[in-house]
Amino acid sequence: MKKTIVAATVALSAAGFLGVWLYEPGPLGSETVAVAAPAPSSSSADGGASEGAERTLDGSVESNRYGTVQVRLVISAEDKISEVRLLQRPTSGRGVDAIPILQEETLTAQSADIDTVSGATSTSESYVKSLQAALDAR
Amino acid sequence: MNRVEQVMGLPVSVDVRSGGGLAGHAIDGVFGWLREVDARFSPFKADSEVCRYDRGELSPSELSDDLLEVLSLCDHYERLSGGAFTARLPGRRLDPNAVVKGWAVQRAASLLLAEGLDVFCINAGGDVITSGEPEPGRAWRVGIRHPERPDAVCAVVESSGGAVATSAEYERGAHILDGRTGRPPAGLLSVTVAADDLVTADSLATAAFAMGIEGIAWVASQPGCQVLVIDAERQVHRSPRLRLA
Repeated sequence: MKKTIVAATVALSAAGFLGVWLYEPGPLGSETVAVAAPAPSSSSADGGASEGAERTLDGSVESNRYGTVQVRLVISAEDKISEVRLLQRPTSGRGVDAIPILQEETLTAQSADIDTVSGATSTSESYVKSLQAALDAR
Repeated sequence: MNRVEQVMGLPVSVDVRSGGGLAGHAIDGVFGWLREVDARFSPFKADSEVCRYDRGELSPSELSDDLLEVLSLCDHYERLSGGAFTARLPGRRLDPNAVVKGWAVQRAASLLLAEGLDVFCINAGGDVITSGEPEPGRAWRVGIRHPERPDAVCAVVESSGGAVATSAEYERGAHILDGRTGRPPAGLLSVTVAADDLVTADSLATAAFAMGIEGIAWVASQPGCQVLVIDAERQVHRSPRLRLA
């Protein structure tokens, strides 16, 4: 069951990713992207990589009117796709070799032990009310 | 030693944890530099270099190397963002502030390092540069402001020798506009970028915020940065490699 899910996710992610990436379509042509040697990799979904370690999964070489594309997925220890790398990409279009897959969470509030605060606090009015002002006053 | 001053229209906090008695003098130098930048590059001061250039009183060949560097950074991020980020909105005066802030504060950090001070945290209006560790074995803990609650954070990022910038509109009165439309962007509550330097972090955060929803995938694909984006649906989108505390 898990294999099916991973394979389906691979297909969906690659499709979604190319949708974003082919935002600037260009003429035909392709190049191979230098990518560091993969960690012990499973070249197919049933490669038997042990759980608990990051692993990679290479897609097939696909050609269409935009050029030739081959993707490598980096799959985290939690079995989630953490990055899509391009082993081959068209010579034009976006100049990226990899795009991370973002983790999705629900917004939560916390009051934590911190040294400083990052946030748009560009006026003295917003600064006075900010956590940063409280930290500076310590 | 910690000091806060209002400069370049921003509350700026400089917290230096090394150098002992040297720190006070070095912090004087930091604020002196930031006041100099304000005088030279403010779009709100009629006699600044930026305003004189904008009015045509200076030709490009008469500009300082510093302003040329800032303008070339503006052009770089304008191209990279497809025009969403711009220092030249139609009908408005030249405003390179979005780059000037990160550039000036990054240079301020190098002033401290040049004095041999290597443990510090500078916070300029919510944009942060860190160096070293405040305690052995512990990175600086940078809270990311909750977009709807000034008294709370929504994440804590670890940083030692890097920059963290957040772009947002917590209060009404939009100051970030989408350069492609000239209108305030919609779809995002805040964009935080962690990178090696503040020019990169601040410019990418501002550009992504200006782009709206499409800025999420765009900023995540930029090399050398980790992001935490909160959209208007209160969904958090986070790079897997962002260093959370």
